[in-house]
Amino acid sequence: MYALCPRGRLLLTTPIPLSIRDLKFRYEPAGPWTVEIAQLDVRAGEQVLLTGGSGSGKSTLLHLVSGLVDPAEGSVLIAGHNIHDLRGARRDLFRGRHVGVIFQTFNLLHGFSALENVMAAMMFGTIPRAEHAGRARRLLEHLGIERVDAPADRLSVGQQQRVAVARALACDPVLVLADEPTASLDPENSDAAIRLIQEACREKSAALVCVSHDPAMTERFERRVRLADLARPLG
Amino acid sequence: MTDWTIILRSMTSRLFSTLVTVLTVAIAVGLLVVLASMRDAGRRAFERGSGDMHLLVSADASPLVSVLNGVFYANAPRRPITWERYEQLVKGTPAEWAIPTQLGDSYMGLPVLATTPEFFTRFRPDAEHPWKAASGRFFDKPFEVVVGARAAKATGLRVGERVFLTHGIAQSRQAGDAGAPEAHVHYDFSYEVVGVLEPTGSSHDRAVFTDLASSWVIHAHDRRTRQDPAIKTTTEADLVAADRLITGVYLRLFTRPGSNTPANLPQVFDALRRDATLTVAQPKQEIDRLFVIVSDLNQIFLAIGACVLLASGVGIMLALYNSMESRRRQVAVLRVLGASKGRVFGLVLTESALIGVMGAIVGAGGAAIGARLVAAALKSRVGVVVTPDLSPTVVVVLLAGTVVLAALAGVVPAVMAYRTSVARNLRPIG
Repeated sequence: MYALCPRGRLLLTTPIPLSIRDLKFRYEPAGPWTVEIAQLDVRAGEQVLLTGGSGSGKSTLLHLVSGLVDPAEGSVLIAGHNIHDLRGARRDLFRGRHVGVIFQTFNLLHGFSALENVMAAMMFGTIPRAEHAGRARRLLEHLGIERVDAPADRLSVGQQQRVAVARALACDPVLVLADEPTASLDPENSDAAIRLIQEACREKSAALVCVSHDPAMTERFERRVRLADLARPLG
Repeated sequence: MTDWTIILRSMTSRLFSTLVTVLTVAIAVGLLVVLASMRDAGRRAFERGSGDMHLLVSADASPLVSVLNGVFYANAPRRPITWERYEQLVKGTPAEWAIPTQLGDSYMGLPVLATTPEFFTRFRPDAEHPWKAASGRFFDKPFEVVVGARAAKATGLRVGERVFLTHGIAQSRQAGDAGAPEAHVHYDFSYEVVGVLEPTGSSHDRAVFTDLASSWVIHAHDRRTRQDPAIKTTTEADLVAADRLITGVYLRLFTRPGSNTPANLPQVFDALRRDATLTVAQPKQEIDRLFVIVSDLNQIFLAIGACVLLASGVGIMLALYNSMESRRRQVAVLRVLGASKGRVFGLVLTESALIGVMGAIVGAGGAAIGARLVAAALKSRVGVVVTPDLSPTVVVVLLAGTVVLAALAGVVPAVMAYRTSVARNLRPIG
């Protein structure tokens, strides 16, 4: 396993998008572990569904992976870099460039148009400013949004979801994290939404890690992992 | 989509709050600009009255009283100077001009200054502008009067009208009008209004001017009718030395071209002071002395202005603080998208400073326009000339100070943005 060797990653041309080792996190210093993962690797372009009941630490895991909270132990490598080794603004920049996040409630910026919401994701990256508008527009149109200048909050729920997907993919991330992306949708829309996310990620060759407790999602993912099973080292 | 888009959108999304905050800052800055520009305006307005005279000679008790009476018509001087003394003074003083003035009578409560035609042709109430008649002309014969701009406005006098003068200033003022029973009106002599003056922005605008000789005649007439009630008329031929009295002399010494300060001022000043019966005043110096007393007031006004500015800073802080509650989610989203803590801190701080910049520009601009309008209104309605004078340094310091204050006001909300927990604020609502 090349990814097990931290020094080995220097030799790799395409490091794997996500590699977690012995990750432990808890909110209280002496409390029970909220997140405990012995090992999890996600290959380039792979789509993984993480399942678990509420309170199983799904969202916390995504915060750990995106570097919003620091673990007590263990490491999270994204494209070969330990995100928790980066400090302050460098970690934020790294997250903006390499990790796309799709939220359950979309979390679009209110008062900004669909186009601006997508461009906001590029503000902090390395894409030249002159290309922002064109790229964002193409991405939105590709995802079926025609009124790109309409205020994001005036769009239908389905279209808001598309804007959120476009925003997550705006900087060509290696990894997309989706946090209960269908929880606020009815079954019909929910199926369309997850299909959209999966197809978009596939087109952009981004690995997808989706956390959900929605049983309807299971059949759409080839690789399904129960969070509780990750605590034990793989045999 | 840049940081500015986010800042401006944040401001326009709370348009009312932003406008009110900008207005608060603008009012504070405007107030300070007006106070700063008017700091010396009062003093300059006062200095206009003495115009281009260098010395004021009177028999008043002190130089300050002399100036207040002789230039600002506060009261009629009590002690006169005889004409002989005046002629002696003219002979012994190397003066460009020495204009005799006499105060004592009034018209409808307004002071009457009896003088010679040189008062209009030589003396300038404002060093740069000579007298001008708005209508009619200056007097050149006895029993003609010229009315100051404010006096004309107050009395409605026009060229061609005839007036009677009242004996005494204080008396008729206390009585409220010229027709009060205790006032003594010189009914035996009527004067013709021959001119109305343009406003000069000085104390002289509320005075009525007449010829010195006719003033002597009407007072000589009083003296003669007291002695012999049968006397009907008095002319200049009936005047005796005791009738020829003045109360002040406006003096201008010779100066070199381009200079307003005569080289021999100290010598002439000292020479004149040797006569203990005379009081010699340098009007500008006396006015400066007066303003030293009231200068503390300026400091207090400026301090009040600064407090208002400080309060407007608190206003900015409050407005942004309140907005932070609803912006936490936005901040969290931006953080996930890659914005650093420092960047969101900067966004809020810039917004705060921007409010300061806008307030400062609106305030300073408004004050500059407002001061001109107020100055124009004061000149046309009250006759007071106030020239707003603002040094660019003061403006720059004030504007920079406002922006710094506004930025400081943004520190607390910016720290809130800085410390916004991303994880907590991205959770689904409810």
